[in-house]
Amino acid sequence: MRQAVPLTITFLVGLLLIVAVFIPPLKDLERTFTLFFDIIAVFAFFLGGGNLLRVHFNKLRNKKPDWGYSIVTIVGFTWMLIVGLLKIGNPGNIASAVDAPGSLFYQTFHTVLVPLSSTMYSLLAFFVASASYRAFRAKNREATLLLIAAFIILLGRTPFGMMVSGWIPDSFSLLQIPNLAVWIMNSPNLAGQRAIMIGIGLGVISMSLRLILGIERSHLGGDKA
Amino acid sequence: MTRPSDSFGCPSAVRIALLVIAAVIGISITAAAQTEAAPADSVIADTTAVRVAPPTSVVAEDHKYDAGGEVDLSWVPSISESLQNSPVLGYRIYRSVNGNPEILLDELLPGEAEYEDKDVVKDSVYSYRVATIATDRSEYLSITTQPLQPQVENIDFNKSYLFLIALVISGAVIYFVETAKRGKKLFVRRIAGLEAIDDAVGRATEMGRPVLFIPGINDMDDVQTLAALTILGRVAHTIADFDSKIFMPVSRSLVMTAARETIKNAYQTAGRPDAYSDDMVSYVTDEQFGYVAAVDGVMVRERPATVFLLGAFFAESLILAETGNSVGAIQIAGTARPAQLPFFIAACDFTLIGEELFAASAYLSGEPRQLGSLKGQDVGKFIAMVVILVGVLSVTLAEAYQIGLFEGIFNWLSRIFSSN
Amino acid sequence: MEHIALWLGAFLTLGILSFLYEDNPWYKLSEAIFVGVSAGYWCIVLYWDNIVGKFYNRVGEDPMLWIGMILGILMLLRLVPKIGWISRWPLSFIVGATSGFWLMNYLASNIMVQTKATILPLLSTHFGMGVDAPLAMVLSQLVVVVGTFTGLIYFFFSKEHRGAFGYGAKVGIFFIMITFGASFGYTVMSRMSLLIGRIDFLLGDWLGLIN
Repeated sequence: MRQAVPLTITFLVGLLLIVAVFIPPLKDLERTFTLFFDIIAVFAFFLGGGNLLRVHFNKLRNKKPDWGYSIVTIVGFTWMLIVGLLKIGNPGNIASAVDAPGSLFYQTFHTVLVPLSSTMYSLLAFFVASASYRAFRAKNREATLLLIAAFIILLGRTPFGMMVSGWIPDSFSLLQIPNLAVWIMNSPNLAGQRAIMIGIGLGVISMSLRLILGIERSHLGGDKA
Repeated sequence: MTRPSDSFGCPSAVRIALLVIAAVIGISITAAAQTEAAPADSVIADTTAVRVAPPTSVVAEDHKYDAGGEVDLSWVPSISESLQNSPVLGYRIYRSVNGNPEILLDELLPGEAEYEDKDVVKDSVYSYRVATIATDRSEYLSITTQPLQPQVENIDFNKSYLFLIALVISGAVIYFVETAKRGKKLFVRRIAGLEAIDDAVGRATEMGRPVLFIPGINDMDDVQTLAALTILGRVAHTIADFDSKIFMPVSRSLVMTAARETIKNAYQTAGRPDAYSDDMVSYVTDEQFGYVAAVDGVMVRERPATVFLLGAFFAESLILAETGNSVGAIQIAGTARPAQLPFFIAACDFTLIGEELFAASAYLSGEPRQLGSLKGQDVGKFIAMVVILVGVLSVTLAEAYQIGLFEGIFNWLSRIFSSN
Repeated sequence: MEHIALWLGAFLTLGILSFLYEDNPWYKLSEAIFVGVSAGYWCIVLYWDNIVGKFYNRVGEDPMLWIGMILGILMLLRLVPKIGWISRWPLSFIVGATSGFWLMNYLASNIMVQTKATILPLLSTHFGMGVDAPLAMVLSQLVVVVGTFTGLIYFFFSKEHRGAFGYGAKVGIFFIMITFGASFGYTVMSRMSLLIGRIDFLLGDWLGLIN
């Protein structure tokens, strides 16, 4: 029962959505099931958000290391809940959109979340430099190819590409770095992308079938649970 | 002496009077018709009015293979569009439902000759008119289309080839699953990243440091997250066996619930139900970079010995992989997003490329049925390769030497693979 | 207020950037604020968009949405240990829906579209004028076809990469590595521009040192 019902639900729902592609009266099922998912996600958030608060309250209560920061997390979370649910400072009060300009919710988003997100994103500039250093050590033929392709594309997108290869005559214009970069993107890169995408498609089909048919049950504890 | 008369026997004065009366009636009718024909924003033409031709051949057809929710409208654009400095501003679509007065449905730019009305229901009857809008905003209407009731088609025959291919590939997967179940041995090539899992978890046990599992940042409606959770089941079993620790911060509450279920069941199956704790999986935040900030913090503070980065990742993939690298963890990554794979290749010890992520759980299980599904995937790849080979040869010979047979083969293949 | 926002933005920006040196209290504080505020933000957005927008405002016209509500409530039964196993049912629903939906989607978009797009002529009277244009076109088309073909060989699971097959797989992985290199090179510059944006904020908006 504990496995049979979930497996049956998975099978029926999966089959229904596959068949719905070919049966026009069932086409709306996708949209309906997406709405179900969105509603279920909110209830799951009660569990997730509750867990977040529980973890931090526990840290606070037991004075675990860095418990002080848990106060900050709890205060931040509670602040957004209050200003968002009560729509404090919203121009049209409770009737207006929760993120209406001028509302405390909106202001907190722009003052706090936007700089934090942008800065985390900008860390990529540093990490890409360190990743490049490691990737470009060319330990084998595959890494060498990766390095050369990356280098050509990088140079091709800057003025240096033309500066370095501008001397190449027009009859061999393909070897000029900007043109070579375009050709690499449109030919070998495209080929590799296609092979990966076809493989992914087949992988998804296989895994989906295993889940729908109940062959894959590790999320339910496997055959022995 | 009799007065002159026409062939109908009326005297001429009466004739003239009748003509005048007829002219007055005719003008009135024409004026009334023009008012009726221009329901919105019409301007009665004066000597400076712009005159354009209405669209012709307006046809309304039921959209094929749907649930009666769409009508396709087509027309021949006004010939006035072909004039120099075309006086056509665009077109207006008017619709009448069940004989009720027309309403304006939409306005289109010049040159448009088609419209899809998706706001219809199968139980109603619709008729349409299309008006050419002149530069002075006057309208010139077409004739009304025949009343049309959208039909429901229960099967979409446009997708018959898609169905056929789905059947072939799914059939191959199921066939090899069944064949493997009957005991036929199947060879599966070594995948280095998956072979390394046991060693990676063992390393964590020896060092007394936890295993960190990151299932991507998307929710359970992403198939990559499902793949990550199926792998989690196998990895958690190994962790339970090795008596190591797992820590799994997640970005979605649903994933948290599913992951807890998966790990709990894995520990039960491994005979270690007492070692499981809900605290192994914790929700952080839905915000992409907030999650990354928290996970980075966990990495530098907990210093995991092994990090799994499996699932759907976006720009944050590099931040996570580099941070994991900086704390000296062994990293096994996998995603089906080609744009993120280079960063995993650069920063991680092992990377599962695309399809390998979806094959991983089957590979790790070692179960014949699951391995059989991998063989089915290979059949799909084989079919794709054959189609590409035959297609390329056909289209090459057809285009270079105009050989009709190969043109036919190419067209047939194009038709099959366009059915989606 | 704008002044406070500017200083707060700068404080949080520098707090996150300090992570590049090492973990420190400033980063921990910024991280705690980030997690708390963003989790609260998404909680509110989910509530107003999904519960109010997608359920409450629509359930009158679409009573089927009650099924979603029931499944959501079943999810909460996880909190009751004795009947917590019922929460597997909505999870199973999601697993089935995701699998069924994406199976057909990936078949159409990844397999059929990509296979069709790879069927390219190696010779054609339509390749255009110029001495080297036809040869370049032939080579380009050949590269795409061969690259896709050998890339697929690389991903075969049920055949050992040996002999001619192994050679094909080797060529395939070369193409895949070129793909990864191209992707890497393509993204590097855009990552740099993100940092430029932040530096512009700190030196320009906050400190007023640059225009």
